[in-house]
Amino acid sequence: MNLLTIPLRNLRRKWLKSALLALVFGLGVTSIVALDYVSTVVGHSLEKKLTAFGANILVMPGAEKLHLGYGGFSLGEMSLGETSLPEAATEARVRSIGLSERISVVAPKLVAVAHADGAPVGLVGVRWDREKVLKGYWALNGAFPDTENGLVAGAAAAARLGLSPGSKVTLDGREAVVTGVLAPTGGDDDAVLFSGMAFCQALAGTPDRVSFVEVAALCAGCPIEEIVGQLRSALPGTEVKALQSVVKQRMLSVDFVRRLVLTVSLVILFIACCMVGVTMLSSVNERIREIGLLRSLGFSRAGIFSIFCYEALLIGLFAGVAGYGAGFLLSGRILGVLDMAKGAAITFDPAHMAMTCLLILAVSVLSAFFPAWKASAVEPSRALVSL
Amino acid sequence: MLEARNIRKTFHSEGGETPALRDVGLTVRPGEFVAIVGRSGSGKTTLLNVLSTLLAPDAGELLYHGEDVTAFSPARLNSLRRKDFSVVFQFHYLLPYLSARENVLLPYLRGLGRVTPAVRERADACLARVGLADKGNMLPGHLSGGEQQRVAIARALAKETAVLFADEPTGNLDRATGESVMELLSGLGGDGLAVVMVTHDDGFAARADRVVRMADGAVVG
Repeated sequence: MNLLTIPLRNLRRKWLKSALLALVFGLGVTSIVALDYVSTVVGHSLEKKLTAFGANILVMPGAEKLHLGYGGFSLGEMSLGETSLPEAATEARVRSIGLSERISVVAPKLVAVAHADGAPVGLVGVRWDREKVLKGYWALNGAFPDTENGLVAGAAAAARLGLSPGSKVTLDGREAVVTGVLAPTGGDDDAVLFSGMAFCQALAGTPDRVSFVEVAALCAGCPIEEIVGQLRSALPGTEVKALQSVVKQRMLSVDFVRRLVLTVSLVILFIACCMVGVTMLSSVNERIREIGLLRSLGFSRAGIFSIFCYEALLIGLFAGVAGYGAGFLLSGRILGVLDMAKGAAITFDPAHMAMTCLLILAVSVLSAFFPAWKASAVEPSRALVSL
Repeated sequence: MLEARNIRKTFHSEGGETPALRDVGLTVRPGEFVAIVGRSGSGKTTLLNVLSTLLAPDAGELLYHGEDVTAFSPARLNSLRRKDFSVVFQFHYLLPYLSARENVLLPYLRGLGRVTPAVRERADACLARVGLADKGNMLPGHLSGGEQQRVAIARALAKETAVLFADEPTGNLDRATGESVMELLSGLGGDGLAVVMVTHDDGFAARADRVVRMADGAVVG
């Protein structure tokens, strides 16, 4: 027998009340845990889907640019030093960073100038499998090329060169076939032709060289600056830039989900805390003479305070453990209903459970602080002398 | 050992002020059995509560081994209640969810440390002393009124204090049960335990070593 015997026996004596309180608190924990797991999976899924709307990091050669002009005439910019990157080595280094699991897509690009039946046009060499992921917003009339000499034409370039799906065109003496034409995007894509990387590198005479590399990084849970920093360390002599507007827009969407879940969780937690607080307060009022007796036996204020805190602790412990287990199972069911269980399976994390239970214990005890303080302030004379 | 000097206590309510104790003085010696008698409202229970430190007086001194306990800090008062004073109330105040033995062990609960076997033996000895050796595992709800009051006395005895205060300990009991409780209380002085008992029953009071009569908040004899 020790001091814990009193709250334990009291909870057992009023088992229905205790069970209902633990059930309500446990349901709150269940909701919070389920929301947390589901929002994490939904957030990651959402971010992956947002990757289809473009890259958020650019890796470019660290060439110095010299602006040429004289006597009021601008002669344009001149690049000094390396103006291209080794494709295979660059990609390998991007994939080697510490946060490589956050790298979703690496899409190299080679920009060249070609002549289509004599007319100059920009040609961009791409890796089609990556480009399809990155340019989810492209609307294509026709199909993506499945041969080395296939081309996709931007809307403006197609109009200027009179190209349509199925058109044959000669680029610097090499035969190519237009398999698709893009709907206008309002961006740089409209004015160029896209080809497979090998075709473009052969045409430009720069095997294994690319002009720049677009990287789509998943930023939820880690700052983009950290990924950029690691890329800079892995790729000395290159320029690595985060496209902040894209990053922020994407994070805003993901953060919205998390903020919504956090707000709902806080509301649930607050209601659960109020439940615990009110129940403990009524328990203090019901047991005022018991408290008076304990004080007359020499129990200190701290001793009385701890009895009620232990009671809240026991309820919190049950609610935390049972609520977490139920929340974990529930999140699996919810993801199953949302048809997201396969793509992102949730895994049981004992550390997460321990942290959650600790938080619930702390919150439970905090909710009981006022009632416990009120109990500890009871003077034996007030509780017993009225007899 | 315990001496009250010029104790005053007034209760304040919406209806006005009610003087409960007027310059009351009383001395209790070790092993002495003192009975405080008087009519209802004479101030005897208030005096007992002041003596047992459950109620602070408005004025006067309460000396215990020469020290004025009215000046004690809350922590020292707790220590005094735990080690030196014990109280038996008119109503037994047993915790209904603890067995008779566990109720007797209550004063020994401190933090998460378990009570020692020696303390358990002490509790069992106290239960045996009040004639409840075989009822230690029973819940208070399964005991008679007299047995419940005996458990309360055993709880007071278990603390091995110097003074036991009893406020109308037979008030809720029938005559025969009250007699047995009184027999128990009057036999405690042999261990050096001072007993201060409030009663309105002159018959029970006659068993005490000394009878203090109160009327209108003052000691009158």
